[in-house]
Amino acid sequence: MRSRRGWLTGLMFGVLCAMGAVTGAQAQEDEALSYFRQAKVDWRQAAGQSLTIGLNKHPFTESLLPLIPEFRKLTGINVEYLILPESEYFTKLAADLSQQRGEFSVIMTGPMRNWQFVSADWISPLDEFLNNPKLTDKAWFKLEDFYPALISANRWNGKIGSGVGEGPLYSIPVLEESYILAYRKDIFDQYNIKVPTTLEEMAEAARQVKKHAGIPGIVARGTPSVASMGTGFGSGLKSYTDGQWSEFDGKLNATLHDPRSVKYTELWIDMVRESGPPNWANMQWYDAMEAFTAGQAGMIVDADFFAAGYEDPKKSKVAGKIGYALIPTGPGGKVYSGLWTWALGINKATKNKEAAWLFVQWATAQRTLMNATLGYRNYNPSRMSVTNDPRVQEIMGAWGAGSYLKTVARNLETARVFWVPEPERTRMGDIWARALHEVYFKRMTAAEALKKASVEIDKVIKEAGLKD
Amino acid sequence: MTGRRPAGGESARKIAVLVGAAILLLWTVFPFFWILLTSLKSPGDMLSVPPKFVFSPTFDNYAALVMGEQRGDYASTRPDFPRFFLNSIIISFGAVALSVAAGIPAAYALARFNFPGKDALAFVFMSFRFVPFIAFVIPLYLLYQKIGLYNTHGGLILAYQLITLPFTIWMLRSFFQEIPSEIQEAAKIDGCSWLGVLTRIILPLSMPGIAVTVILGFIFCWNAFNYPLMLAGRQTFPVTVGAIQFISYEQVLWGQMAAATIVAALPQLILSLMVQKYIVRGLTMGAVK
Amino acid sequence: MSGKVARGRRRRETLLPYLLLTPALVLLCGMIYPFCLGLYYSFTSYWLQYPKRFRFVWFDNYVSLLDEPLFGRALEFTLGFTVAAVVLQVGLGLAIALFLHGRIPGRGAIRAMMLLPLMMPPVISALMWKIMMASTNAGILNYMLSFVGVDPINWFGSTRGAVASVLIIDTWGNLPFVALILLGGLQALPSEPYEAAKVDGASPFAMLRYITLPLLAPFLILTITFRTMDSLRIFDVIYATTLGGPNDATTNLHIMAYQYAFQWYQMGKGMAQAIVLLILVVMVSYLLIRLWNRSAESNAQ
Repeated sequence: MRSRRGWLTGLMFGVLCAMGAVTGAQAQEDEALSYFRQAKVDWRQAAGQSLTIGLNKHPFTESLLPLIPEFRKLTGINVEYLILPESEYFTKLAADLSQQRGEFSVIMTGPMRNWQFVSADWISPLDEFLNNPKLTDKAWFKLEDFYPALISANRWNGKIGSGVGEGPLYSIPVLEESYILAYRKDIFDQYNIKVPTTLEEMAEAARQVKKHAGIPGIVARGTPSVASMGTGFGSGLKSYTDGQWSEFDGKLNATLHDPRSVKYTELWIDMVRESGPPNWANMQWYDAMEAFTAGQAGMIVDADFFAAGYEDPKKSKVAGKIGYALIPTGPGGKVYSGLWTWALGINKATKNKEAAWLFVQWATAQRTLMNATLGYRNYNPSRMSVTNDPRVQEIMGAWGAGSYLKTVARNLETARVFWVPEPERTRMGDIWARALHEVYFKRMTAAEALKKASVEIDKVIKEAGLKD
Repeated sequence: MTGRRPAGGESARKIAVLVGAAILLLWTVFPFFWILLTSLKSPGDMLSVPPKFVFSPTFDNYAALVMGEQRGDYASTRPDFPRFFLNSIIISFGAVALSVAAGIPAAYALARFNFPGKDALAFVFMSFRFVPFIAFVIPLYLLYQKIGLYNTHGGLILAYQLITLPFTIWMLRSFFQEIPSEIQEAAKIDGCSWLGVLTRIILPLSMPGIAVTVILGFIFCWNAFNYPLMLAGRQTFPVTVGAIQFISYEQVLWGQMAAATIVAALPQLILSLMVQKYIVRGLTMGAVK
Repeated sequence: MSGKVARGRRRRETLLPYLLLTPALVLLCGMIYPFCLGLYYSFTSYWLQYPKRFRFVWFDNYVSLLDEPLFGRALEFTLGFTVAAVVLQVGLGLAIALFLHGRIPGRGAIRAMMLLPLMMPPVISALMWKIMMASTNAGILNYMLSFVGVDPINWFGSTRGAVASVLIIDTWGNLPFVALILLGGLQALPSEPYEAAKVDGASPFAMLRYITLPLLAPFLILTITFRTMDSLRIFDVIYATTLGGPNDATTNLHIMAYQYAFQWYQMGKGMAQAIVLLILVVMVSYLLIRLWNRSAESNAQ
């Protein structure tokens, strides 16, 4: 009898617990729904429609997926999604956009990618949605909460060679990245190595780390693809030339073989060859990141927010041992970092544009982005209110004993999308990266390889009809 | 001759043979063994230097593969592996069924009739075995996007005919040709139509050959990678394409990739042991019996 | 009357094979149509992101290959890899076949084991080897090589390492194919010539050189044909491991065409490169099949 009662009690307890869990989740969902219903927008105006979202593998993507049922409940819109690694993602994306069949309604994109899509007239300007009171509650959505530099990075007037920051807005940023130097403070302190402020000093520091600690002095992306060029290497080159150099002259002639660029390339490749990891030429960003978090490198010059990974004690062997600093500069002593934002845009050919915009508005709302940052380490926030949230400040403020936030704040004073806007940016980067391999493997001198790359890019630009 | 050799030479020969066999086995089997070990490792054991042979095994990589969820330290990329597995089965079965349905009459015609253009036609079918896939996948890709076959099982089944149809026709032809034509002539004299000859004599007598063709065709479809890479989407990816996606934003998920490798390879490893006598014949499209 | 029936019957007889072939021919057309479409694209400036610039450009895409630096390198690697893979695989395959042809304990088991790599999806075996060849973390291959005194090999980060790794992975998967065919060939050889040679006191090497190899020639040429065709168009293994890098050391024509079409969206150029690869394959196959026929004829004599 007693045992049976015990069994019953247990069962009832279990049921209660389950109900508690359900009501807990319910409460969270109710809270979310009431948050979104504050907006003076009819969320259900597109109920019953379907969307397919194209997503790149990314912490932001991970943060979005569990919330999709919530979006369905709010709007009555069905959501399917495709998630792929970056290179495959962009291949599929361009294929779909080019056929104008509108398979993807909402896409994950960013400034340099937009240049390609806008030139081909594949994506929608978002201003018409933003300014439509039926679709957007501007006072609630607060576009002004986004960092102005990030919004203007996603604007372009469509003129090849200029006009970034002008004209229509093509995508809403979900995160920000600029490029800084992360170094092993423990090793630097132990062997009295100076934190570098010039490229020559960086090469020396890398040499010292390798000599004393027996690990590669520096890791960097090295695969022969555009992904290797835009971050640490590109920002370093821009800074090395005091912001003077750019990859095209005023008449859209490639200038990769500019003497300053050649000199920088020589120094960089020598450094990587001498003190870098042996498999540099096959390194993706995740390989570089993994090597650094595994304690297998002294320095890395890449996206600032990789710090979220370096500083995660569950995954990283170097959490708490890292210092952050600006990228080495040129004679002027000022840093010019690049800037990138992952952002959400809308396919021009989609039939359900209103539904697509409701999704973008929901996915970039303050609450959603806050959840992405706190719950899924989606750094750096694109909204100021998220960055300034005390919880976020506490997490980011602890990185590098406070040096992280300070470094990023200084970096952002001058960071911008400095590439010349033209639709062949990706191709240009691929050709450029291949030139670095020619130098690394000593098939050509830097001057020869970069001259060859410039000629090749000029050919592509001409073939694409961007220049006579 | 060997009998007159001194005993020492004989045992040296034996040792050499054993060493040779051991090297051959190691080279062949070790990768499987190592991947199996890798798939049973936790992330910590995975990265240990030197590599560990002894560790406490875990099935979490397989669990993450099936559930596609975050499980503690096991980051997952939600690649929907069970769905990919089902896709592989659907596409492979569909492609083989279509090929066999079209291939039996075609092979019968090529094996038993003389008609103008026969050799040329057989050669045209054979030549598809050797085409570079890219020459077909570029136009197919553009075409499929236009007519809505992109990312559909049906579209993939049609594209897979490039793999299975030439193979099926040549294999079946070689099996049909093995049946003595006297039996067929005798049946004709008894008043059997061509259809009767096909259904009452040729098909029953070559049932084992058809079974082999189906199984090998299934394996070749299962192994296909490049057509689905370009022509499939998330709803239709087969396991071969699914297995390369174990790259998260931050790292390559070696453990899950290894588990996926094992799961993707298992069905046709079993199937291939079933038809091992015929594999060489299948791979040469019936040229070597 | 009866003559008419007979004629009707004969006509049906002549039409019948075509009728039987119809379903397969329909599917064949389904394959040939996209190919013709692709052939047409290869003469156009089809570039996904510039739809307005679509023009018929005759042979421009083919001619422009001549001053495309990557093309020379890709052609070189395509041919070089093919020669290396075929020599390596046929050489080792022959050795394994001869070895297994001797009195080997457990031959059946070894033979069955060898089927496994053969039937693996190439992309999956590439992934398996990629895990084993990892150089950043615990790559088992370098670890094992360290016991025989080999320094860590930079598998995917050096040009030579990348070429070697592609060659090794391809060989692992296809060596059994060569070995099994040649083993089958050896077992089908007549025994008389060997008995005669033994009586003459020929050395084992002489028997190999003057009896086995000539008799085995059709089988050798068959394996060479199949391996050559597959090596010329290898794709899966390279895609899953090196993607053509580093320094384009493992870029063959197939990977190059893939990059033009699916990375840079120049469908016209990519298709022209695919056609060039196809022509190369057809030419080589024509030569090899002629060789095969000749050796089969001379063997028959």
